[in-house]
Amino acid sequence: MIDEITLVKELQKAQTKEKAFKKLITEYKERLYWHIRKIVISHDDADDVLQNTFIKVFKGIDKFKQDSKLYSWMYRIATNESITFINKRARERNIDITEMKQEMVSNLQSDRWFSGNDIELILQEAVATLPEKQQLVFNMKYFDHMKYQEISDILNTSVGGLKASYFHAVKKIEIFIKKKTH
Amino acid sequence: MKESDEYTQDWKLSEDIKTGFAVPENYFKGIENDFSLNLIEKKLPKNNVFEIPKTYFEEFDHHIIEKIKPKKGKIINFKKIKLIPVAATIALIIFFGTNFFLNNTPELSSNEIVNWVDMNINTISSDDIAIAFTDINFDDIDPYFTIKSEDIIESLINSDDIDFLIEDANINEIN
Repeated sequence: MIDEITLVKELQKAQTKEKAFKKLITEYKERLYWHIRKIVISHDDADDVLQNTFIKVFKGIDKFKQDSKLYSWMYRIATNESITFINKRARERNIDITEMKQEMVSNLQSDRWFSGNDIELILQEAVATLPEKQQLVFNMKYFDHMKYQEISDILNTSVGGLKASYFHAVKKIEIFIKKKTH
Repeated sequence: MKESDEYTQDWKLSEDIKTGFAVPENYFKGIENDFSLNLIEKKLPKNNVFEIPKTYFEEFDHHIIEKIKPKKGKIINFKKIKLIPVAATIALIIFFGTNFFLNNTPELSSNEIVNWVDMNINTISSDDIAIAFTDINFDDIDPYFTIKSEDIIESLINSDDIDFLIEDANINEIN
């Protein structure tokens, strides 16, 4: 684990910026990728969004005031970039965001980078039906094992609100899977 | 205990006077929800179902570093700049000429013309251009003369667009 404060200082100095940025990519690329991938579903789209995320981080690091952790700040950028990406796609296709998400999941069956079985595909379909906040909380809590406090720092939502969102998300997923499998 | 801080921070303690032991307020309500969630969660699949190309993460660093490197201003060869419109003009002349003699309906969309030029631009050599424009002295063009990309953009903005050229060509044919 790298020292975050030192890294931010290096990132904000012109002489050390590029070297520090390489360190930053090495440290966070995988975690951010998997976070983005669960939102945008396809590998190619996740790759685009991850690149945009790092470019935004590189451009915006000078303005980063360390009010939050670097890690939370980057997660927030990645989340916003992913949501912006889906919204843009939906606008281009002239469909609403829920429809767009369902279409993205329906493409999974023919996606060479998806290895899930039937039930795993149904779970992805169920997650796609959730409202945005519940979807994010579910992915971060269930798949990424993040603590509520960490999620709270990233999504700017109270821990209590997140617990409620997670509870509703899991219940809805259960109902969706029951309907699909019975 | 998992997330013990949240219990003490978010929930007030309620005390059982007889035993002296305390539990967070709403603890028993919360535990029912937690239990119910646990039961559902255990039934759900948890594998990572998404895959990535084998060398994706190794190659990613290189791609991103390339993208953030400051870009050097492009030096554009003036000879080339001169030749592009000349080649495009020749392409248009050949296209309109052929079309005029072989086809009586010379209505063309700009897309058709652009596609044709794109497809054929590489087959036109500098010799073809020199033969077609014998009155132009190509030696007058300084190959080392460079112009800024902003100037090119400005020049293109101010120039006639392709639709205007087509309209012009159609009028000439009618006359």
